[in-house]
Amino acid sequence: MRENTVVGRLKTAVSRTLAAAVVVRRRRDAMGVAVGTAAGYLVVYLYALGHLAPGIAGYDVTIVSGAFSKFFQPELGPFSFTPVARVVVGPVTYLFSLNTVLGLGVAALVGLNLGVTYLAWRQPAACGIGSSASGFLASVPAVLSGTACCGPVLLIALGIQASGIVVTAFQFLFPVAVVLLLGSLLLVGRQITPAGH
Amino acid sequence: MKVSRRRLLTAVGLAALAGCTSRANPGTGGESATTPASSAEATTITGETVPTAEETLPLPMNAADLEAHAVSGGPSKDGIPSIDNPSFVAAGDVDFLNPTDPVFGVALNGDIKAYPQKILVHHEIVNDRLGDRPVAVTYCPLTGTVQGFERGETTFGVSGRLINNNLIMYDRATEAWWPQMLATAIPGPWNSAPGTTSLREFGLVWTPWERWRSLHPDTQVLSTATGFAKNYGRDPYGSYAPPRGYYANDATLFEPLAEDDRFSRKRVFMGARTADGAVAFDKSTLLAEQTMTGELGTTPVVAVADQRLDTGYIYLNPEERTVTSDGRTVSVGESTYAPDDLPLTSVHTFDAMWVAWYGYYPETNVYA
Repeated sequence: MRENTVVGRLKTAVSRTLAAAVVVRRRRDAMGVAVGTAAGYLVVYLYALGHLAPGIAGYDVTIVSGAFSKFFQPELGPFSFTPVARVVVGPVTYLFSLNTVLGLGVAALVGLNLGVTYLAWRQPAACGIGSSASGFLASVPAVLSGTACCGPVLLIALGIQASGIVVTAFQFLFPVAVVLLLGSLLLVGRQITPAGH
Repeated sequence: MKVSRRRLLTAVGLAALAGCTSRANPGTGGESATTPASSAEATTITGETVPTAEETLPLPMNAADLEAHAVSGGPSKDGIPSIDNPSFVAAGDVDFLNPTDPVFGVALNGDIKAYPQKILVHHEIVNDRLGDRPVAVTYCPLTGTVQGFERGETTFGVSGRLINNNLIMYDRATEAWWPQMLATAIPGPWNSAPGTTSLREFGLVWTPWERWRSLHPDTQVLSTATGFAKNYGRDPYGSYAPPRGYYANDATLFEPLAEDDRFSRKRVFMGARTADGAVAFDKSTLLAEQTMTGELGTTPVVAVADQRLDTGYIYLNPEERTVTSDGRTVSVGESTYAPDDLPLTSVHTFDAMWVAWYGYYPETNVYA
């Protein structure tokens, strides 16, 4: 009985979240929040990885030989993949790798979290909207997903002495982050009543 | 989960390092290929092709215990990819180096080459040739050590593991582990009984690009066309010019094997080790005083600065001959010599962060 209740609540949350996502896509302001957040996250994520950073100046596009076969090749750590192309545009160097694809996925989740949170905030209180802050929970897993890819380098940058356990733990951060992002999305999505807009 | 220390850091200075060498003279293009400790005929391990030295260098503990101290630095085997097909450009065509950027220079077997630190920080190993001799130029960012090894017909790769924060290389012929600073084989997951032998070494000079180019205008420089999509304008650990990040703060990624608080962890020493012991001279003091004396084991040694390249060299001086220097010209007895060409037996010398040197050689004599 209790399980049915839990499953039922989950179904409601999923269906409300999906409906909210549709609304986010339709409303220009909510879509702006989602896309803006996602784009901002992606830039920060790539910067944290070092895949979008100042470099050696010039203009150049390089694609490594055997790029397709190297695309899924791990590099510096778990969920860190070998760049297969380099684009240099003046002072900025961009490295294309599977991390851009992963980053896009996480960025979409972060953007959707913030878009739905925006909806919850904009909806009239009469529609049964709860806390508008829950979407900001997304920032926590979003940070986790970023650190997953560049853990040891992050430790070095922060001057934190590591152990093998700490380094190993980084491999779990990315999937944990994705799960948390989905969880926070459902958390805020369930507060939006389809009739409320 | 054990996080033994946490240090948020603000950057303050550090140094440039200097490699250096024996008669394999990086400054003036000496022709001898290897160090005194490794100048004997090559032998091989397990019938494979890695040239090893006749004299085995001392280990700080037995090889199996060393293996137990290996930790994953994050990357998997070859996750940091060695450069196996390097290409070079002429000095005049280099547009990606600032005058103060560190390069690792070597003049050996008729070749004069510079390996930019900003490229090696992304690869750690370049499998190259100097003249007709196959070599590996290796760099560990976490210990500030650049060392050259003969490699025979095989190549070296980055294992992804660290001991004492120092790169563990592996050779692709036998898959033995070779901790870089120790230059000596230890067991690893791919070769559990490699035997205990040391690699044949040669020295490189850690020097600012402008100084290397000035002394060797005809040098070749490792090209950024490495076959990899890397951002060679970005050092993930910080910067040497100016000193920032890991190179300038007091943090290490992992606990060193041994610690000594007489000096800050990243202070640069020029060290030499043989079967008789280890000796280290503070680099900045050496550059200021031009010459320093000490003992390697019980043998008197003299260190001389080379102001042309901002580096120094260590020589055995058992007769304790008087050596004076102005940084460019060195007097031994009545005669004068270049700093890298004294009539004494040179000892393979390389720069290292104090924390790394002491961690591996806690019995070292040290002069600062």
